[in-house]
Amino acid sequence: MPANNLLLSSSPHVFTPVTTRKIMLAVIIALLPATGYGIYLYGLTALLLVLATVAAAVAAELLFRAAIKAPRTVGDLSAVVTGLLLALVLPPSTPIWMAVLGAVFAIVVAKEFFGGLGANPFNPALVGRAFLLMSFPAAMTTWNKPFSAIADAVTTATPLNLVKQGASLAEVAKSVGAADSGGLYWQLFVGSRSGSLGESSILLICLGAAFLLAVGVIQWIIPVAVLGSTALFSWLFGMNPLFSLLSGGVVFGAFFMATDYASSPLTPVGKAIYGVGIGLLVALIRKLGGFPEGVTYAILVMNMLSPFLDKLRVKKYGWIPPKKSAAKEAVK
Amino acid sequence: MSVKSFKGGAHPPERKDRTSGLPIEYVRDVKSVVIPVNQHFGAPLQPLVAVGDRVKRGQKIADAEGRMTVPVHASIAGVVKKIEPRTQSNNVEGPCVLIEADGSDESAFLAPLDGFACTKEEALARIREAGLVGMGGAGFPTHVKLAPPKPIALVIANGAECEPYLTIDERAMIERAGDLVEGVALTMRLVGAPKGLIAVEDNKAEVVPGLEAAIAERARGYDIGVQLLKTKYPQGGEKMLISAITGKEVPSGGLPMDVGCVVQNIGTLVAMTEAFREGKPLIERGFTLAGGACKSPKNLVVPIGTVVADLVAAGKVEIDEASLARVVYGGPMMGVAVPHFAIPVQKNTSGVLLMAKDEAQAYAEHPCIRCGRCMRVCSCRLSPALLNAALKAGDFEEAEKIGLLDCIECGTCSYVCPARVQLVQRFRVGKQLLRAIKQKEAQNACK
Repeated sequence: MPANNLLLSSSPHVFTPVTTRKIMLAVIIALLPATGYGIYLYGLTALLLVLATVAAAVAAELLFRAAIKAPRTVGDLSAVVTGLLLALVLPPSTPIWMAVLGAVFAIVVAKEFFGGLGANPFNPALVGRAFLLMSFPAAMTTWNKPFSAIADAVTTATPLNLVKQGASLAEVAKSVGAADSGGLYWQLFVGSRSGSLGESSILLICLGAAFLLAVGVIQWIIPVAVLGSTALFSWLFGMNPLFSLLSGGVVFGAFFMATDYASSPLTPVGKAIYGVGIGLLVALIRKLGGFPEGVTYAILVMNMLSPFLDKLRVKKYGWIPPKKSAAKEAVK
Repeated sequence: MSVKSFKGGAHPPERKDRTSGLPIEYVRDVKSVVIPVNQHFGAPLQPLVAVGDRVKRGQKIADAEGRMTVPVHASIAGVVKKIEPRTQSNNVEGPCVLIEADGSDESAFLAPLDGFACTKEEALARIREAGLVGMGGAGFPTHVKLAPPKPIALVIANGAECEPYLTIDERAMIERAGDLVEGVALTMRLVGAPKGLIAVEDNKAEVVPGLEAAIAERARGYDIGVQLLKTKYPQGGEKMLISAITGKEVPSGGLPMDVGCVVQNIGTLVAMTEAFREGKPLIERGFTLAGGACKSPKNLVVPIGTVVADLVAAGKVEIDEASLARVVYGGPMMGVAVPHFAIPVQKNTSGVLLMAKDEAQAYAEHPCIRCGRCMRVCSCRLSPALLNAALKAGDFEEAEKIGLLDCIECGTCSYVCPARVQLVQRFRVGKQLLRAIKQKEAQNACK
C-alpha cells in the first residue's frame, strides 16, 4: 500500500501550461515595442511616467488587498498591465503625481472595489484616464512635440486636434512635416507625431497585436469590428476613413483596451456588436463631441453593455427550438 | 481517406508512446478478486451467492429483474469469502463479492451461439446474460442499446480513444481486429443498420491496414468501413463522434438513436463476439496501466475484480512509490482520483494511472479572468464561463437555460482554464442539484 498522501481532486488531472500570469506577461511583452517607441520619442520623462504608473498600480493593489485582508494577487501581473496601459494612453507631459493618482484610482476604484481581477465591469486603465481627464482637463490635453524635451514645453496640437479645429488634411500633413496626404498616412503609420505616449506608432502597435493574436491571447473579432466600424462610420459621417484609423488612439484601443477580458463580452455575437458599437461611438464623438478624441469613452460606454451582450450566446449542441406552450396552442 | 472532426475541443498532451507499442498481456492467475455487484447504468442488482459458496469462472453471481439491469459473473473459480461494501473505482463504496481462487480454474460459460443465425430476441438475451455493458465509461446496458425503438442508419465503433495515456483500444484494434469487425457486423444485424464504421483518431492510423484486412475477412457481407478522425479531445465523446462523422447533432436530452446512430466501445464489441462464439460472459477486460510513477507501463487484460494493489504485490506491476502523487481510475481527463489502489478493475475501467508528482499538480482556484478559452473549446457550445458565473450565483434557472444538463463533463474547459477555475467540477455538482430541484418541483406539482 502506498503512503496515504495521494492527491485527490476532481477530474481533469492534467492542465494546460497557460496560466493567468503567462497571459499577462504576453500582454506586457506585446506592449513593449510601443512603450519603447514612446520613450524614444519623449525621452527620460516618458520612461519615468511608465515606471511611476506601473509601480503605483502594483503598490495600490498590494496595499489595498493587505488592508482588506484579501489574498495577495500582484503575482498575476494584472496590475502591471493596468499601470502600463494607463501610462501609454496619457500625454507624455503628464505630471508624475497626476499619473500616480490615476493608477491608484484605476486599481482601487475601478478594479478592487468591484472584486479584483476579472470582476471589473470597466477597463481599469481607461477609468483611470477618464478620471484624470475630468479632473485635470488642461494637463490631459497638452501635447508635446516628439523629440522636444518636455521641460521646453514645446506643445503642439495632435492631428485630430487640428482636424477638430477645422484644418484640412494638407495642413495636418504640413504639421507633421509630410509633403502630401500619402506622406501624412505614412508618418501616422510609423508614428512620428504628437499624441499619447504609446498610441503614436501604428506599426509597433500592430506588431504587438500580431503577437497577441498569434499566441491566442486576444481574438480577432473585437479589433476587426472596432477598426472596420470606425472606418465605415467615419466615412458615413463625411470624415476620411484612413485618417480616422491612423490618427488618435483607435488602433491602440482596438487591440489593447477593447479586448480587455473582464470588461468585454464573452460570446462571439456579443463581441461583434460590442466592437461595432465602439467604432460607431468613436466616429460620433469625433464628429459631434466636445473632445477631438473619443476612444476612451466609446470603450467605457460599451463596457456597460457587456453583461447584456453576453446573453447573445451561440446555440448549444443539439439545440431544439422550444415548443410553443400548451396555452398558446390552445388559443390557436 | 478524409479526416473528419467536430468543432471545439483541445489537445492535451497524448503521452501514449510508452504503451502504444506494447502487446496486450493477459493475466489470469490472480489469487483473489473483488467484484462490484453494480457495474452498469441502471437498477441495482442482488447477489445470487452467499459467503462460503463455491463459484465457477463465468458463473452468474448477481442479477435482478428489470430492463435496465445487467448481471455480473464470477471472473475466477473459487470460494466466496465475503460480501461487503468496498471502495470502487468511482471512489464510492458499494457492495462487492470477494472471491478467493481455489486453483481449479473450472468454468461455467454459456453455450456457444451463432449470433448471425439465431433470432434477434435470442441474441439480445445472450448479450444481457453475458453481462455486456458499454465499457467506455458509463456502463450502459448493451442489450438496451441494441434494441433501439428507432431506425438505425449507422453503427460506429468508437476507436477514437481520445483520453491521454490510454492505448488499450488501439492495441485491441491491432490484436483483436477480426473479433472487433465481427462485433460490428453483429451490431449491424441486430439494429438493422446498413452501414458500419470503425472510427479511429489519426494518431493511430497504423491500425487501419489491419482493420481493413479484417473487414475483408470477417465482415460477413456487411458494409463496414474505417473512418479517420482528427486527433482532438473529446473526439471519443459519442455526441462529438456522431457530429464529426454524420454532421448531425444528437438533440438535447436525446440519444444517438435519435439521429439514427449506435455507438459502441471497442472492448464491448470484442466481448460481444466472445459472448457468442465461446459463450464467455464479460469477466475480463483490457486496460492501460501507465503514468510517470509506473515503472512497467502495460496494456493488460485481467479478470474483472482484480485489485491493482495485488498486481503490484505479485510483482506484475512496478511502481515508484517515492514519486507517486495521484492514482486515477480511467483517463486523466474524465477519470476518478482515488485514495489508494486497492480498488478493483471493473467493466468500465479503461485505464489505471499512477501519476508522478511532476505530471499531477494540484492547483488552487483563481478568479475567472473571462478570457473565453472555455467558450471556444466547449464541444457542446455551453459557455462554461457564464455557466460557472450562474452556478456561483445560485441561479439554476439561468444555468439550465445555458445548457447545464447538456454538459458531457469531458473536462476540456477545466483543462484549458488559465485560472484553474473548477468548471467541470462545479457543473457536475450543479447538475445533481438542478436534478434534485426539478424532482422536488415535479413532486410539488403532483400534490
